[in-house]
Amino acid sequence: MTDLLLQQAVNGLTQGMSYALVALGLTMIFGVLHVINFSHGELYMLGGLVTVVATSMLGLPFAVAVIVAVVAVVAVAAVVDLVAVKPVLPKKDGPSTVLLTTFAVSLLLHQGVLAAWGPNPARVDGITGSVALGPVVVTGSRLLVLAAGVAILLAIEYALRRTGLGRRIRAVAQSEYAAHVVGIDVARVRTLTFLGAAAIAGIAGALMVPVSLFTPSMGQHAIITAFVVVVVGGMGNPTGAVVCGLVLGVLEAIASTVMPQELGTAAIYALLLVSLLVRPNGLFSRAAR
Amino acid sequence: MKRVFNFAAAVALCAATALTVPAAAFAAEPVKLGMIDPIKTLIGKQNVDGAQLATDLINADGGILGGRPIELVVYDTNFAPAEGVSAVQRLLTQDGVKVVVGEISSSVALAAIPVVESEDAIFVASVPKHPDVTKSGYDKVFRLNSTTALDAQSFDKFLVETIAPQKVAILAENSDFGQVTITHLKDLFGDKLVYADTFGMQQSDFGALSTNARSSGADMICIVGSNMEQYGNILRALSDLGFDGRRCLMPGILNSQGVEIAGAAAEGAFSADIYVPAIDNELNKRFVAAFEEKFGRVPEKIEVLGFETVWIAAKAMDKAGTDTDTAAIAETIRTGEWQTPRGTVTFDAEGQASSGDLIRLEVKDGRIVVSAD
Repeated sequence: MTDLLLQQAVNGLTQGMSYALVALGLTMIFGVLHVINFSHGELYMLGGLVTVVATSMLGLPFAVAVIVAVVAVVAVAAVVDLVAVKPVLPKKDGPSTVLLTTFAVSLLLHQGVLAAWGPNPARVDGITGSVALGPVVVTGSRLLVLAAGVAILLAIEYALRRTGLGRRIRAVAQSEYAAHVVGIDVARVRTLTFLGAAAIAGIAGALMVPVSLFTPSMGQHAIITAFVVVVVGGMGNPTGAVVCGLVLGVLEAIASTVMPQELGTAAIYALLLVSLLVRPNGLFSRAAR
Repeated sequence: MKRVFNFAAAVALCAATALTVPAAAFAAEPVKLGMIDPIKTLIGKQNVDGAQLATDLINADGGILGGRPIELVVYDTNFAPAEGVSAVQRLLTQDGVKVVVGEISSSVALAAIPVVESEDAIFVASVPKHPDVTKSGYDKVFRLNSTTALDAQSFDKFLVETIAPQKVAILAENSDFGQVTITHLKDLFGDKLVYADTFGMQQSDFGALSTNARSSGADMICIVGSNMEQYGNILRALSDLGFDGRRCLMPGILNSQGVEIAGAAAEGAFSADIYVPAIDNELNKRFVAAFEEKFGRVPEKIEVLGFETVWIAAKAMDKAGTDTDTAAIAETIRTGEWQTPRGTVTFDAEGQASSGDLIRLEVKDGRIVVSAD
């Protein structure tokens, strides 16, 4: 039984890491721009698609494909920012309007991929082979998701705490007005945050494709889970998003050993609902201040 | 004078048109066949491609009823019963078709049947598997695909006697199909069934589920999932975990795209179905060659089921000598023996098609081959 729980914990951590990475970008954008970016899930999907195209059609090695995917997703995000966020945000009711414009972008991206690529799923081999740690088996692809996830989280934490850009991002998140007064280019910080979040979504999509395939609808499922994780973790709170994402993944996997999987997921989401009733601003709301 | 001349010319033109058009139209008036399918999905498109090829082949052979070509009118159902009903209504009342074919979803097919009955038309369903599709009491409904019960008749004996597992685990999609199959396998294996769980139709990570199935000690894991990305992913997860027992895909779900998704993890998995492209008969060879030429891929069961709906409906119209007398056409379908790419197809009194035992399949060297077992 211990072996089974350990194996499920590892499975859950991988899945949880994908939740955490998508949620991290979403919550960063909320923290700095104060908007919900509904196209974030589709950027995650595009990361997967570009990886598939780069490996299977262009024959690039997986590592190069991941880099290409990130560059491509950031480029798409720059266009999204230019047409659907930047011109709308400063206007009256800007944040609500961005909700709609990014939703429109998500539909455009999803339908565009369906029209060009079709509904077909695709596989990328990624890192083949697996590592046996006693009774626990971890595939190379899952190990990569875990390792890369931890590296990204540490890098983000370092960047936010120790670099000038990180300080500017935190300043804008706390008060745009005050940041503007002390000479910070708020618009530039917003754009860089948007692109940084897109890069994380792109990497997450590229790394998850070898674990759970590419499908054009992968972004739609990801955004829903990420949204839950962000709300429960505390809107705009990166630590909350990461911890909640990981815990959700592990709980789902472990619950599946004692009850039917879908019932387990329903029970966990019910618990999350209760947690919101107790702490309406999210589990990590105090840490945010 | 000029006005009188113009009027006379117009009358003459109308008279000439009235005399010549019906005669010309009669010579080559197409016989319209209606088709419904979720055409924006992969599986719906596969079905329509098969039907289109049947139309092409029949027309290339000179058409039916003394040289009339067939025209396929296709509408989308989008997997939604309401859209299916309106598509059928449009076909029967606006397009004037008497025979509707196609569809993937049982829910759409069940919703469409009352509309077909109200217009005294014929419905030849291709893929829907729900038993009630042929149990409506309306005698002009036919179904080409096998039902889960028919599959079981043929596959159970093979599982119990030839594979003879000691412990069985089931991973099933959470749908009608999944639940019915779990109940059936519980009855079949009794205490030998050590683990059963379902997964959501949108689920993409199967690590946890596969770990539980492997830990149950089962020496055979049965997968019940109609989405190729899902069963392909489960096969990969089981392989990653080092599961070395038998992997069984319930009849009717194994296809080459699923094998492609699973890659090496699909090796040795087995299943059964009503059709494989390798069947050795003249019509199948012609069908496969023509399909590959037109669509650039090898046809599989969904394409064949689409093909058969048009093929049998058109041949029955030809044999009955009518495209409007639906009672005569339905009776001809029911009593006839139809040569199709999978062999000889016959129908029972309820309109359910059968073509004998299922063909047992296994994945070998990345390809689906007829099993040697």
